[in-house]
Amino acid sequence: MSHEKKAQADSRWLDDPEVFRINELPAHSDHRFYRNQDEIERDQSSFVQSLNGDWRFSYAKDPMSRQKDFYKADFDSSNFDTIRVPGLIEFAGYNKIHYINTFYPWEGKEFRRPAFTMGPDQDEAGMFSKGKDNHVGAYIKKFTLNPDLQGHDVRIRFEGVETAMYAWLNGHFLGYAEDSFTPHEFDLTPYLTDGENTLAVEVFNRSTASFLEDQDMFRFFGIFRDVSLIAQPAVHIEDLSIKPTVNDDFQSGRLKVEAQFSGQQSGVVAHLTVAGATGKQVYESRSEVDSDVRLADTSFKTIHLWDNDNPYLYQLTITLTDKDGRTLEVVPYQFGFRRIEINQDKVIVLNGKRLIIKGVNRHEWDAESGRVVTMSDMKQDIETFKKNNINAVRTCHYPDHISWYYLCDTNGIYMMAENNLESHGTWQKLGSVEPSYNVPGSVPQWKAAVLDRAKNNYETFKNHTSILFWSLGNESYAGDDIEAMNSYYKEVDPSRLVHYEGVFHNPKYKQTISDVESRMYATPTEIEAYLKDNPQKPFLLCEYMHDMGNSIGGMKSYMGLLDKYPMYQGGFIWDFIDQAVAVKDEVTGQKVLRYGGDFDDRVSDYEFSGDGLMFADRTEKPAMQEVKYYYGKY
Amino acid sequence: MANTSQLKVIYGDGTLGVGGDDFHYIFSYSRGGLESLVIGGKEWLYREPKPTFWRATTDNDRGNGFSKKSIQWLGADMFIDVKSIDVKVNNQLIDFPGAPLNNRYSNNEFVDQIEIIYHYETLTIPSATVDVSYTVTANSVIKVAVHYAGQKELPELPVFGMRFVLPTKAIGYQYDGLSGETYPDRMAGGVPGVYQIDGLPVTKYLVPEDNGVHMETNWVTVTRNSTKNNADSSSVPFSLTFEKVDQPFAFSALPYTAEELENATHIEELPLSRRTVVTILGAVRGVGGIDSWGADVESQYHIPADQDIDFDFVIKRGSK
Repeated sequence: MSHEKKAQADSRWLDDPEVFRINELPAHSDHRFYRNQDEIERDQSSFVQSLNGDWRFSYAKDPMSRQKDFYKADFDSSNFDTIRVPGLIEFAGYNKIHYINTFYPWEGKEFRRPAFTMGPDQDEAGMFSKGKDNHVGAYIKKFTLNPDLQGHDVRIRFEGVETAMYAWLNGHFLGYAEDSFTPHEFDLTPYLTDGENTLAVEVFNRSTASFLEDQDMFRFFGIFRDVSLIAQPAVHIEDLSIKPTVNDDFQSGRLKVEAQFSGQQSGVVAHLTVAGATGKQVYESRSEVDSDVRLADTSFKTIHLWDNDNPYLYQLTITLTDKDGRTLEVVPYQFGFRRIEINQDKVIVLNGKRLIIKGVNRHEWDAESGRVVTMSDMKQDIETFKKNNINAVRTCHYPDHISWYYLCDTNGIYMMAENNLESHGTWQKLGSVEPSYNVPGSVPQWKAAVLDRAKNNYETFKNHTSILFWSLGNESYAGDDIEAMNSYYKEVDPSRLVHYEGVFHNPKYKQTISDVESRMYATPTEIEAYLKDNPQKPFLLCEYMHDMGNSIGGMKSYMGLLDKYPMYQGGFIWDFIDQAVAVKDEVTGQKVLRYGGDFDDRVSDYEFSGDGLMFADRTEKPAMQEVKYYYGKY
Repeated sequence: MANTSQLKVIYGDGTLGVGGDDFHYIFSYSRGGLESLVIGGKEWLYREPKPTFWRATTDNDRGNGFSKKSIQWLGADMFIDVKSIDVKVNNQLIDFPGAPLNNRYSNNEFVDQIEIIYHYETLTIPSATVDVSYTVTANSVIKVAVHYAGQKELPELPVFGMRFVLPTKAIGYQYDGLSGETYPDRMAGGVPGVYQIDGLPVTKYLVPEDNGVHMETNWVTVTRNSTKNNADSSSVPFSLTFEKVDQPFAFSALPYTAEELENATHIEELPLSRRTVVTILGAVRGVGGIDSWGADVESQYHIPADQDIDFDFVIKRGSK
């Protein structure tokens, strides 16, 4: 039912775990496309029109009191407020800022069980569509297409909307989406007018997706990443797959490039070039795009390998020209040759050498805007990584802003690309493992939703050299549904490793989930016990060294394991940056940093939001010199 | 005529004064410590230095319950009993020079060296004893030796040191030790060197907690440019140096006591900074880091209560 085309919105989708995408275009690679080389150099595609900026906005405390007809073409929105997009509704002052860790944000306020966990007939209808705590943001944006987009098919892309969204254009229903941290695209073409268009977006604070998005973080909602209109060139690479492989000699390799096209392809030629880092062209091909989707399948006698020390990237450029020789689009993408695998000694090796993960977990955070991060934030974070010998990042616990993946490619950061999934509130109860209503678990009605998340993550980011691991999610226990996610990644991408920690709590899935033995916060003694006892999988710590306040003592004991056990591969410190919110102190007027509970938000986990190596203002905590020392030593 | 090769001693009724070339120190009998430390006309003490046992609870301390286990040391840190005081002249114990025994002395008493030893007893159950000895020589240098006698029925200590509260806020300090904020289990990244710190920065942890410790220090010089003396309007900087004898020490220099830090839930709740709290530490507990909800600090970085702790240092005029 989830892939059926729908002409009308239905609020009951909020209650149904089997409905998570309606009328969305399929997830595809995140390649950018331009009209010409000049646009590439300016990184400004005239196919794209940003809708970031001021939008009209109306807030409703629950679904019952919302203005249901606001999406209609003739709706009078003159009484709406103005809100900044991208931005969080809480930061705009409409809804209380709230931090909570394991518990669901409705703890102590609403009794909820995920649909079908209490029985196959327990569909929990109305749980969210009539939820008294399900706040609603109604957004309206009026726009006129830029001349450069006119005459093209046009889609809209939302890069991040929390938690569930409906969209309409000029009164026509576009679609519905969950999975807050991956892009959602809808086709606008049938409904566009030449003059002013009215886009309406209804964002709900909660839906069944809320059970899957219980990450230990401030709980927000709203359109928190970029929104763009994207014109489709007459013929367009809809999806691109770049597969560089490294041969056993680690000196030569092979490159396969495949593409899926949209549009009328007759007579169109794809010109593909590959250049080295100096700009020197090393490969070129021309192909008719009619039928063959394979644009390159060629061997390279000598290759430069990509790694943290030398993140060597090749420049791939694909130019589509029509039968008259006119350029339709130019697609640039940088890729690297690198090989990640587990060797015969059960050691993870990168390019034949043992991988040592000197990593951090990184939530996206900016004290001034919460989950809305800027290019400057991301660049600063990369600089901090490089300066302090941090070589790896786990995108805890959701896919990040797209630019972050490109930055990790160019800077040689090893990435564990994690799905948007954390459901610890369904199985961790006051410190004990109690999975009686765990989702996704093995509940059949929840499987498609988590598989969709896996697919969104894979399809969007598959071409990023920096990604060495796909991570199925965080702290969601283990069952058939997560096992299916594992199988999905194994099927679509044998070139990378799959990571999941949650099998530790349900070991019967150990054979079928995760290529690595992953733990969090295991003591050095516990790790040693595993490594001494006929270990079946290489070991890594997806979270360790909990840097809450004045911490990071005893790092030596972890680093010392690297000297003793080749199968110990390092880990990701928890975490990179404190989550705290910059506010004006009500007493002194000074700018100060506030944490959970400081907004009358209850139930809260208070200062547990601040566990970073960085303070929330992006200055380093004193412990960073210790991390720099040990991460530099290995 | 001033005698600069010897110390002049004033055997007061409530205090013992020790003076020399442009310095004068007063040891109080009733207040349990060194009440005045004047060099170059500038007072260096706000209240008497006392042994210190508490560190403001860190997030890890809270998570693993250490503060609850060691709670007796918070009381010990705030209040302490002085059981007795000994005085040694030129290394010889003398009869305690209180009234009326001090009638035997005059206004012209000179010695080569004098040592005042405070015998403290902690208000823990059971109590533990701490002896703090100040040895003054004519060159104005004070050697401070601190001895904690192990007491096996007490919980592990959060910290052990001597706390000096200076009357005004320092403009900065310089030290020869490790870079950054270091703890016994987090000092590998500290680079040895001489570091100048402006002001008295408090590490801005979200919840104020113990911070600013510098391990493996050879000396620290604290510089102020103000006093509480209404007749002194000079803003010319002046300095005092704490220096190791044999073993390096740890220290912190902050505008707050452990209790002031403990009491705040946010940085902005800390009082306006107006004094300098220099703590010279003989034992520091590690901060830990395995997790923040139960994991203990590794055992080699604990401070067991049942073992003696000794440390010493000297206090000297001026900069190093």
